[in-house]
Amino acid sequence: GGGSGSREAVERLVREHPVVVFMKGSPAQPLCGFSNAVVQILRLHGVEDYRAHDVLQDPDLRQGIKDYSNWPTIPQVYLNGEFVGGCDILLQMHQNGDLVEELKKLGIRSALLDAEKDQEKK
Amino acid sequence: RGFASQTEGESRLVRVLREKFPRASAIKVVDISGGCGAMYEIHIESEEFREKRMVQQHQMVNQALSEEIKHMHGLRIFTSAPKP
Repeated sequence: GGGSGSREAVERLVREHPVVVFMKGSPAQPLCGFSNAVVQILRLHGVEDYRAHDVLQDPDLRQGIKDYSNWPTIPQVYLNGEFVGGCDILLQMHQNGDLVEELKKLGIRSALLDAEKDQEKK
Repeated sequence: RGFASQTEGESRLVRVLREKFPRASAIKVVDISGGCGAMYEIHIESEEFREKRMVQQHQMVNQALSEEIKHMHGLRIFTSAPKP
């Protein structure tokens, strides 16, 4: 234990970028349906620049991230260093408009806002 | 789906949730792993969730089921407060 799964190491990871995801597999190749859902939701909002960590590559990190957030499952989404939730929460935030707002707070303009604008033009 | 067709795992989880969320107005647990007890979908509506952020609501469910979760591969959680 320890090392890459220590509180200090995890803290560094969650703070290294406004959007950090701990998942199974990678954004290019998710290895779990729930991790894939997170990647797809972020993609819908035009968020392609984020840090993704494959917990399958690092058992210490896999346990460390669960201890850090006191949350038993993967994927885990962090916005501005703060734990937001897993796939279910991200999905609900996407559906109720909260995700667009949270991204705006990070200075990220959701692609869906532009999609809506295009719709209005038609 | 009628009560008679609930799996043992589903019944147990409903019991635990009723205990831990005495003010719940609706609780539904569905085994989504084909009856294997590996993955569940949990729906709870309770006054206890009012004014709480979703991640807090889900944490409450995680804590309530912390023992049971150890034996699961995964779970999906849907929480809400009753409409006022």
